[in-house]
Amino acid sequence: MNTDYDVVIVGSGAGAAPVAWMLARAGHDVLVLEKGPWLTEQDFCKDELACCRRSAYTPDLRDEQHVIEEPDGDGWQATPTSESGWDFWNGNVVGGSSNFMSGYFYRLKPMDFRLRSEFGPIEGANVADWPITYSELEPWYTLVEQVVGISGRVVQHPFLEPRSTPDFPHPPLDENIVSRWIDDACERLGWQALPTPRAILSRPAHDRNSCSYSIYCGSYGCSTGAKSSARAALLDQAVTTGRCHIRPHARVTRLISDARGRVVSAEYADRDGNRQRVRGKIFVVACQAIETARLLLSSPGPKHPHGLGNNRGQVGRNLLFSAGGSGQGTFLYRDRTPEEAEALRRRGPFVNRGLQDGYVFETPRLGRVKGGTIDFLFRHPNPVARANPLKRDDDGRLIWGSRLKRRLQQEFTQGRYLRYEVFCDWLPTDDCFVTLDPHVKDKWGMPVARVRVGYHPHDLRVGEVLSEKAKRVLREMGARDVYGGVSGSPPANLVAGGCRFGTDPAHAVLDPDCRVFDAPNLYVSDGSFMPTGGSVPYTWTIYANAFRVGQKIVDAI
Amino acid sequence: MRKPRPDMPPAMFHHAHAAWQAHPVSRRRFLKGAGALASGLVLPWLPDGVQAADDTDEAAETVWQTIAAVQERLFPDDGNGPGARAIRASAYLQQAMRLPRFPKEEKTFLLQGPAWLNDLARQAHDADFPALSADRQEALLQRIARSQAGENWLSLLLLYIFEALLTAPVYGGNPDGIGWRWLEHDPGFPLPTAANTYDRILKK
Repeated sequence: MNTDYDVVIVGSGAGAAPVAWMLARAGHDVLVLEKGPWLTEQDFCKDELACCRRSAYTPDLRDEQHVIEEPDGDGWQATPTSESGWDFWNGNVVGGSSNFMSGYFYRLKPMDFRLRSEFGPIEGANVADWPITYSELEPWYTLVEQVVGISGRVVQHPFLEPRSTPDFPHPPLDENIVSRWIDDACERLGWQALPTPRAILSRPAHDRNSCSYSIYCGSYGCSTGAKSSARAALLDQAVTTGRCHIRPHARVTRLISDARGRVVSAEYADRDGNRQRVRGKIFVVACQAIETARLLLSSPGPKHPHGLGNNRGQVGRNLLFSAGGSGQGTFLYRDRTPEEAEALRRRGPFVNRGLQDGYVFETPRLGRVKGGTIDFLFRHPNPVARANPLKRDDDGRLIWGSRLKRRLQQEFTQGRYLRYEVFCDWLPTDDCFVTLDPHVKDKWGMPVARVRVGYHPHDLRVGEVLSEKAKRVLREMGARDVYGGVSGSPPANLVAGGCRFGTDPAHAVLDPDCRVFDAPNLYVSDGSFMPTGGSVPYTWTIYANAFRVGQKIVDAI
Repeated sequence: MRKPRPDMPPAMFHHAHAAWQAHPVSRRRFLKGAGALASGLVLPWLPDGVQAADDTDEAAETVWQTIAAVQERLFPDDGNGPGARAIRASAYLQQAMRLPRFPKEEKTFLLQGPAWLNDLARQAHDADFPALSADRQEALLQRIARSQAGENWLSLLLLYIFEALLTAPVYGGNPDGIGWRWLEHDPGFPLPTAANTYDRILKK
């Protein structure tokens, strides 16, 4: 066969890099096509304009955007994100959004692989068991700990996942005094605070530096290499094999398939906008859930008239976000002893505490239901983001002058703000999916993804119970001004599903090996495969499954 | 046009590990909520024949003097921390507007404001805004804040005052970290230098 590469991978994030790493180490020639630039540690610094206010790591929404359909009365209201400013990009650089994650890493639990069997169907939700079990993914979760790098400490608790190793390979990161306050408060409440594993190196390893506790982590690229991004942890290593080639500024516009349904080449736009083609034996798509569905839908072929893998209309369906909510409590320095206040002020150390007591719970109203995870963290330190809301009083009126300056001073210097986040299942429904927009195109003339973001009301009912629990912890700790709530608004950075794996092509896009039905040399290795998302952030599971898929490809090639 | 969407209260941010907090409510989203985009961010009360100036026009000096005077009212040198002049709010904004990804419609809107404000100032007091007493300036700002567009204009100026106060000095504001020191804010490290400002990152 006339091919340029053994394997061509579209995307370079947590779903892509493990495949590249496995294949390159197995001696296969791999090409990674990434539409963004190849930034390194030297490019990353603590710059709120770059990360957040001018979004230098994601496309200009006028060039590339999404159209979001939100519930509006009985119907749906579609708005292009260039108008709303609601950005659904999460990091378009080599290594993808894993460069900018906070790295709160959780495994799914065995029950998350069989949600339907365990808890039964829910009206209006397309809950399905996974075609694999936890035990099949467990070795790959362990590999992620070791190769990608996770720091933490295992403690026994009722919902602890079975582990093949006793503990994490890297010890926990340093913690602020507030972590102890959480432990104490939870103990008084009869709950168990758990140390949160982080995809951050607490000591140097794998030719990477350890964390420098430089305060800004989530939304920021890591300047030391300690954050276990797909780039720092895997791609840099894969490239040193000489077998893995990374082509930045290569925006794949479609995959071209032949009369047998096999993909023969990827067409991409290079930096100058010229169309190029590259051939391969095997193709892997990992562009994050929304863009993966979009690429498949944008790639019809003789055997795939409605888009690759979409002969049964399943591509883009059952998109998942993470349901839940968040809230906050205030700890004033003046409420504490001078020693405690001094310890509380220390900026570098992390909170790294969570609760999983409510991973399953029972209430008279809900019965026995799947619950979720509560995580505690300091409020994000971005100062402009903190300052800007202070310009309005409680009635929304503008404040300026000396009054505004006093408010700023109080907000920034009086204490610290501890937040919580609730993660619970975003039930898959017929109201959450990706299609191609019929009107809006990107700068290459390709239809953009239109995303309907409906949620199931069950998600809010579950989230509310956990949110109340988190607020009780904050109050027990002596926090002031405790508030919080749940929302059906999707967090754009926690996205999965859309190309379910399963055994029945009528209801799934991928087979259990994450190979596209009807396209025998095409795999999807990002979070798109997940039929249900579990009640934790997804990244560890995405890494683990991508290693598993990488091994399947090594075996098949 | 879809109905304006009010800003979500902070409790409703499921920010999912920092991202939503770090990107609180986008400017455009805010402006849309405030109804400004509906009017295309054009000041409907711009007097006939008055052109919005940009920083190369002859009128630029007046425009920037007026913006600086408004900034000084919004963020005064009142003995409690630095004022607008000390954080170089006006120079910062001029530089920010030259960099990529500064929203074009906001630039136009911000630069249209002084012509209108000075027109009001002349009607009321026969002098441009910068020449008025502090009390008269304050009263005029209170007055324009009662209109939606005027409110949006001041709100945007405040946003860019916060940027001048709290972003890295390499961008032209916050000299020697004066804003950070005042608010006891630790900016972390490494900070951006001239070699890796975001406009350079965008060229990589």
